[in-house]
Amino acid sequence: MSDPLRAQLKQLIVRTLKLDDLQPEDIGDDDPLIGSGLNLDSIDALELVVTLEKEFGIKISSSEESRAALASVAHLADFVRSRAPADRVPA
Amino acid sequence: MPSAPFSPPPIRLTATGCLTALGDAASTHAALLSHQRALQLHPVLGRDGGDSVPLALLPQRSLDETAPPNWLAHLDTLGAQIPAADWGSPRLPVFVTSSNFGVGSLYAFQRTRDPAHLASGTPFASVDRIRQHFGWGANVSILSHACVSAHLGLLLATRTLHAGLADRALVFTFDFVSPFVAGGFHALKILNNGFPAPYAARDTGSIGLGDGAAFAVLEHPDASPTAANTLLLHAQSLYNEMHHFTANRADGSGFATCLEPVAAAARDRRLWIKGHGTGTLEAGRLEADTLAQLFPDAPLVSWKGSLGHTLGSCGLVELALAVESLRDGRVPGTIGSEPPFFRDNVAAEPFSTAAFDAVLLTSNAFGGAHAATLLTPA
Repeated sequence: MSDPLRAQLKQLIVRTLKLDDLQPEDIGDDDPLIGSGLNLDSIDALELVVTLEKEFGIKISSSEESRAALASVAHLADFVRSRAPADRVPA
Repeated sequence: MPSAPFSPPPIRLTATGCLTALGDAASTHAALLSHQRALQLHPVLGRDGGDSVPLALLPQRSLDETAPPNWLAHLDTLGAQIPAADWGSPRLPVFVTSSNFGVGSLYAFQRTRDPAHLASGTPFASVDRIRQHFGWGANVSILSHACVSAHLGLLLATRTLHAGLADRALVFTFDFVSPFVAGGFHALKILNNGFPAPYAARDTGSIGLGDGAAFAVLEHPDASPTAANTLLLHAQSLYNEMHHFTANRADGSGFATCLEPVAAAARDRRLWIKGHGTGTLEAGRLEADTLAQLFPDAPLVSWKGSLGHTLGSCGLVELALAVESLRDGRVPGTIGSEPPFFRDNVAAEPFSTAAFDAVLLTSNAFGGAHAATLLTPA
């Protein structure tokens, strides 16, 4: 059964970064996001973090925490679930 | 393909001075020797609040900008130290550098819609305000290259003097923290609620930001008989590795390429190093590694753990503090940092200058820019 949070995060990534040539479902749960795989850079990470903080009411406190959270969609989903209020996360 | 480093011949340094949250060069140097930390937690967006982040502001200066700018009067104490001359006249050029200029005023305009802020908001407007404040002539050049801005000013002043286009040159730099600037670094998550610990092998990197202004007066080495205790900018180098806006090549080659001309000039010298050392992890590790490889016997210090990163002004602020260290005979250690460090070249505690005959000063910037200056007795 697909994870609705992971699906939401993939849509958020494509929308926020305007990845017009990529469909959300083409992003693997475990594909690296930073440096390889999707090859996002620090500016992309900045945009994503701002959007994630607004959308889920979470706070990412350092660049190292950002890098760890953005390691993959699976990592990001775990991070969001651990930090976001329950009513901000799809069941 | 990036070109080779820009590296001019030696130039004489006849005067320096700086202004930080801890005062002028002498006061700042004394405070650093006693491990005093200027950084304090402030709301990142000033009156708009936000997370608490470490900032080092001039005494009684608010993070939120006023009209006229609230940093302008503070510059008087620095201006009083500049040797009197008809600065800005045809043979006495002024090179003004900054990475932020009056962006705090632009942010204040955006917040308040008070048009009075616009009079200081652009690079030209802020520098022209300073020019008029000090009564300088029109021969003022405005330069910016992120956190190596001050080094760029020194280099171009050097080139101007060697071309015979000036008798002396004044390099002036200023960078004052604003909610806009703090907010930007906070958004990158490198300015957070942690205090900087330059070169420390920690899990989380943090920087601080600080107010800074400084000046240097340069003269051609052949201009007049050499006065006692004169210093030379014996070698300078500026290089941009053109890798990425906020990251360096993972092999440290950008750092190394900039340092190579200076390393050649420093052969057979016993030097200590004033590094960039902002408190970030990746760049700090690359910097410490490269410096340890090229200069294995040179102790490395950074003062940004106390003063914060004074951004475009850091090269000249820290040059003035290095000159003060030579005058005093003691070099402040790397405040805010404890072992383990990335490399064992880092000096946490103050040390004597007696065993050394040169200082290497380095700065690094967004965009992959690197700068290095070798300071020696004339």
